[in-house]
Amino acid sequence: MPHHTTSQPRPRQAIGICLAVVAWTCPPLTAQSLTQIIDREIGQHADGPVSERCDDGEFLRRVFLDLGGRIPTSAEARTFLDDRGEHKRTQLIDRLLASSDYPRRLQQFLTTTLLERRTDSKVTDAEWTGYLRETVAANKPWNELVTQLLFSEPREDKSLPPQARFFLVSGRADQHQKTRDIGRLFLGRDLMCAQCHNHPTIDDYLQADYFGLLSYLQDSPAKARTEFESVFNPGKKDTGPRLPGGQEVNIPKFEKGQEQEALKHRPRLLLASSLPRAENPLFVRNSVNRFWCLLMGRGLVHPLDMHHANNPASHPKLLDALAAHFSARKFDVRDLLRQITLSAAYQRSSRLPAGASEADVPPQSYRTAITKPLSPEQMGWAVMQATGNLQRLAAAKPTEKSSFTYKDYINGRIDGVPETLEDTIKLFVGVFGNPPGEPEVVFNPAMGHALFLMNEPLILNWLEPRPGNLMHRITQLKDQDKLVEELYLSVLTRRPTPQELEETAKYLQRFSEHRNSALHNLAWSLLASAEFRGNH
Amino acid sequence: MVPVTSHPDNQTQINDSRQRTHETSLMSHDPHACHGPEHSWSRRRVLGALGGGAASAAIGISNLLQPACAAPMRRKNKQVLFIWLDGGMSQLESWDPKPNTAFGGPFRAIPTAINGVHFSELVPETARRADKLALIRCMSTQDENHSSGVPRIQRGDPKNRGVTYPFLGSALAKLKPPENDLPPYVWIKPGSGGFIWQDAGFLGAKFGSLALGDGKPPIHINRPDSITDALEQARQDLRRKQNQRFRKTRRSSEVDAYDTSYEMALQLMKRHDLFDDSLLSPRDVERYGTHPLGRHLLQARRLLEAGVQFVKVNSYHWDTHGDNFNMHLDLVPQIDKPFAAMIDDLDDRGLLDNVLVVLMSEFGRTPKINSRLGRDHWPEAWSVMLAGSGLQRGMVLGGTTDNGAWCKDEAFDIGHLFHTVFRCVGIDPEKTEYDNDGQPLPIAHDDCGPIQQIMI
Repeated sequence: MPHHTTSQPRPRQAIGICLAVVAWTCPPLTAQSLTQIIDREIGQHADGPVSERCDDGEFLRRVFLDLGGRIPTSAEARTFLDDRGEHKRTQLIDRLLASSDYPRRLQQFLTTTLLERRTDSKVTDAEWTGYLRETVAANKPWNELVTQLLFSEPREDKSLPPQARFFLVSGRADQHQKTRDIGRLFLGRDLMCAQCHNHPTIDDYLQADYFGLLSYLQDSPAKARTEFESVFNPGKKDTGPRLPGGQEVNIPKFEKGQEQEALKHRPRLLLASSLPRAENPLFVRNSVNRFWCLLMGRGLVHPLDMHHANNPASHPKLLDALAAHFSARKFDVRDLLRQITLSAAYQRSSRLPAGASEADVPPQSYRTAITKPLSPEQMGWAVMQATGNLQRLAAAKPTEKSSFTYKDYINGRIDGVPETLEDTIKLFVGVFGNPPGEPEVVFNPAMGHALFLMNEPLILNWLEPRPGNLMHRITQLKDQDKLVEELYLSVLTRRPTPQELEETAKYLQRFSEHRNSALHNLAWSLLASAEFRGNH
Repeated sequence: MVPVTSHPDNQTQINDSRQRTHETSLMSHDPHACHGPEHSWSRRRVLGALGGGAASAAIGISNLLQPACAAPMRRKNKQVLFIWLDGGMSQLESWDPKPNTAFGGPFRAIPTAINGVHFSELVPETARRADKLALIRCMSTQDENHSSGVPRIQRGDPKNRGVTYPFLGSALAKLKPPENDLPPYVWIKPGSGGFIWQDAGFLGAKFGSLALGDGKPPIHINRPDSITDALEQARQDLRRKQNQRFRKTRRSSEVDAYDTSYEMALQLMKRHDLFDDSLLSPRDVERYGTHPLGRHLLQARRLLEAGVQFVKVNSYHWDTHGDNFNMHLDLVPQIDKPFAAMIDDLDDRGLLDNVLVVLMSEFGRTPKINSRLGRDHWPEAWSVMLAGSGLQRGMVLGGTTDNGAWCKDEAFDIGHLFHTVFRCVGIDPEKTEYDNDGQPLPIAHDDCGPIQQIMI
């Protein structure tokens, strides 16, 4: 298939506007839904064996994790699996998007994506997470959120609005880190290599782009012009604020007495009003690419911050369609996620097609669903839910300012185990999270994760019978098959196969003298399995 | 002992905090990102994306799948003990004394096991083992600052190519993937532990060091008492079976990677004896000393005996800008005793041919004594003590002028030292290079070569 070459912004812009107009004004008969376009484009480029539709168990777990950030209870699982309704999948998607889990899930995803585990103590965690959850719950348009993150008017009382955290986190005081992160996170371009010279291998990434962006991040209009020089081609140049592919902004000089006028030309204010717009294709494409990756496990452009002519999208027309749709729908995130989850591409199984090997289904073909790693937060919620300890921990009163830190915990400076949901999640983030500044996109199993699940007293404690939790429930069940079913539904969100039932029966028979230990081991082995660790 | 802090009047050393760790010193002082760690990572990703690496980038299981090195580079059993006395031990109060000179200070010199060679009276134990050691008295290096000097030296002070070079332990973990399941790079240090991914520079986080705070093992290495051997076996068997079943119909590389992380963890857990202090002989405890440096060196010996490829031991507070002589009187025996014990023990166990021992700081100290009876930083002429694999025994290379201020004839820089270290563990810097996703990089400074005179 011929790849799209990057064209100039103007014709693309014009096409985008036309498409948007068409989408709004034409009746459904002539315009395909985004869902249909997704399946058409993925299908047309399949060129090989394709996995079948995922079964209900796969779908249930996947969509609960993706949209709710957790796994279902065994009761929720049973209800869904036994439902004979024709539209149950669509209804589940809509239910999750309307639930209180969705804002929390998106807030966790956005925090990790936008802050990359960098920390700040000036804005409280509660303020930041509350701000994002409200944003998601209200389905605030994505471009509005980005606008606020890029610039917020200082308050009268000098207090910090929650969105200020974006620039306050560790490392982002440095103007180069700021420039790089804005480029990566909002434009899909890692311009780091273009700081000292034009990018050595990517023609699209110019040093002028880097400094154009850096100029936008200066504090005052007077500083908004930056000088630069390539280490390869001597000769000083300078630039005012300019977005890659965009026009340079000319900020006039302001004299004394013109303070009011100068305020209107604060570079970051200008950045906030020009970057997150439908007219900026880099912004739109990067945005839809990241949301696509959230659900599908891989960006259409991958890596996510490497959009350029020599790294085209795996499905260029699809990326265009996603971008056009997102713009036309005024950056409605909930709608975008809904359209993707309704597609057959999303609902494909992660089981290989019959007779096919791993090599036959490269990830970018989407012929087989990509297994996504559970984020540290998802892992925490899933382990708590699976072991039936979530309710208890969620009910524990959150402390005003917990002194629990992961670092103290692993260095043995904290007695006991975390006792609130918040602290528990801090522990999981510490164990499973990446160092600050490293995106969490790929699956990186580490020895420390395994040691944690094997030997952490908290985990083993959760697997001790306690009123209301999993082990308590299953130790009460006399019918063996019912017991195993409850276990599998609770931990793996599916029913056991006949073979699994048989083997488990044999195993429990063998250890009938130590039934409770045997059950504990069984539960642990499911929790420690690859099937649990991945979102497949 | 009250630690001496930089006198506020002494402007040249003002920026160096006593509490710095090497992690904070990673914050680049250079104005350009070309010198930052991120430069290298993004280069790797860029070049990877062009090279069709996009597909494999989606499944990041490379954590556990180490690329094979060319066969000529691999040698069995070569290990490194890297002892870092942070702050700058005075060469005049240890390996290169100048008694009865203007700058000599109050301590005398004593004979060593090498005819004609004298060390400071503060190192009597090491002096007795000098015939097993190789000493360089003519190090002359570039950086007089702690914060930039420490990581710079531990990264081999490479030429600036816009990438952050790995610390020596990370470099060896990459260039010589160990043939056992133990962590390749362990760092025993005071304070807190954890996984120090920053040491790895452009190589990637997985080549970082496993830091053991106060020499203690990672918190989850010990199986709780509630889990007996039988239970462990049972639950692991169940887990493996689950994964086998799951893997039958799915992409296997992720399942395999996850399985491997468990197998590695189980291997490490088997070696909890390495951290069980009740297994130590009282004699060893006495010989190494009960202060942290002594205890940590004893812990290091256990890890080396077990086969850990690179063990680094840190001691802090050697930066004696004031009251230099009292402080060295206190500090130097803390290294002298356990270092001598270590040399004895390695030799007794037949390990001295396989283990390369490096004992150094980021620079030496000024011959000139300042107004607070202290010595300040002096990279111009100082000493590095070595022993073991690939080196001559009972060798002293180079010397300093009568007052100790300058190297007399030849002088060597960090680049030379790294060339030497690599060769001593069986890696040829002429034939080996890093492949930073298509960008070839020398493993040691291209303008330097090995210090042949001390090598066998």
